[in-house]
Amino acid sequence: MPILLCRVDDRLIHGQVVVGWGAKLGIDYIAVVDDDLAASEWEQELYRAGLPDEVEARFATVDEAADSISAWKADDSRGFILTRDIGTMRRLAERGALAGIAVNLGGLHDAPGRDRVFPYLYLSDADREELERLRRLEVEVSARDVPSARKVGIDELLDPGADRS
Amino acid sequence: MFEMLARSLLIQGSWNYRTMQGAGVGFALIPVLKRLHRDDPDALARAVRRHVGFYNGHPYLSTVAIAALARMEGEEADAEEIDRFKRALVSPLGSLGDRLVWARWRPLTLLLAALLYLAGAAWWVAASAFLLLYNVVHLKLRVWGLRLGWREGRAVGRVLIGSPLRRLPDRLTIPLAAIAGGLLPLMALSVSQSNGLAPLPAVGSAVGLAAIGAWRPALAGRLAAFGILLFSLGFVILGQIAW
Repeated sequence: MPILLCRVDDRLIHGQVVVGWGAKLGIDYIAVVDDDLAASEWEQELYRAGLPDEVEARFATVDEAADSISAWKADDSRGFILTRDIGTMRRLAERGALAGIAVNLGGLHDAPGRDRVFPYLYLSDADREELERLRRLEVEVSARDVPSARKVGIDELLDPGADRS
Repeated sequence: MFEMLARSLLIQGSWNYRTMQGAGVGFALIPVLKRLHRDDPDALARAVRRHVGFYNGHPYLSTVAIAALARMEGEEADAEEIDRFKRALVSPLGSLGDRLVWARWRPLTLLLAALLYLAGAAWWVAASAFLLLYNVVHLKLRVWGLRLGWREGRAVGRVLIGSPLRRLPDRLTIPLAAIAGGLLPLMALSVSQSNGLAPLPAVGSAVGLAAIGAWRPALAGRLAAFGILLFSLGFVILGQIAW
């Protein structure tokens, strides 16, 4: 199981991911899937500077990632997949790249049109629509910022109030 | 430049959970933005509004971000590009600053001051030595960051990856541990003297603890916690009996 975490986080590579999850699970690489970032050298250098030397940063477009994920899964090295938004994750899922991979919602922050679900999770109507599409694609989705926090499933996120036994 | 540096000192002045140091960055950039949009108050207002959004790096290294953002504004970079730059910068500056300043430099200088005090210096000498040494480096970091950000602009990432500052925290680990280890017996000596106890057991156990620490750090930590617990319990019980 070399892909240990597949996470939506608008901060991408940062302390919570590197220390909170990375150091705990022991990783060799973080793969950031983002079409804009894959084309921007100076931006990649900034994210790379936030990683310890022993962790490699990979940057891929959605197309590149969809083609490589099965190879990453077969590989011995252990890694994370990160995207900036739910839409990118949904595009990966539509390409069939997320089979057998659970998606973690780790951080989407305040922006116009978004309302607060948890301190680390703000969702807009468009975000909820994307989540709904992920659910229809039968991808397992849950929200959790750090490993020690409670995991909240997609059904509870989309239908608050309904059946919380 | 000087104004940006001075304003960066107030970076956390309006810290909040939503934008964290965001307002501080905007505040530090005001002099630059004012100069750039001298004749257009509307453009100035828009520019300031763009810069009070979310930002949360390390306060001392915020000058890297402020100066690089000032330069990008001067080059009339695209607003969206500036925004993405700012978001990407949070992680490298945060992790570098946390490891270097909070986890190494501050404890190191504090322990040095404690050592000075135990070696016989007056308390105010030790305290000012800490404040001076700590803040000389703190201000040097701010000035270094300001220069770096201004020189490199959006390309600061390349310099940050190769910067010797990234390896400095690892180099400071051993001196930090050595000072902490040296301090332990001295503290034990001073505590037992001030309580009129025989110094040997306290100093002996502190030296022993330091030795175990060199051998097995985790074990020494647990022993120390256990020892302090026993010690305080003993004190409380003794106190009860005596009164």
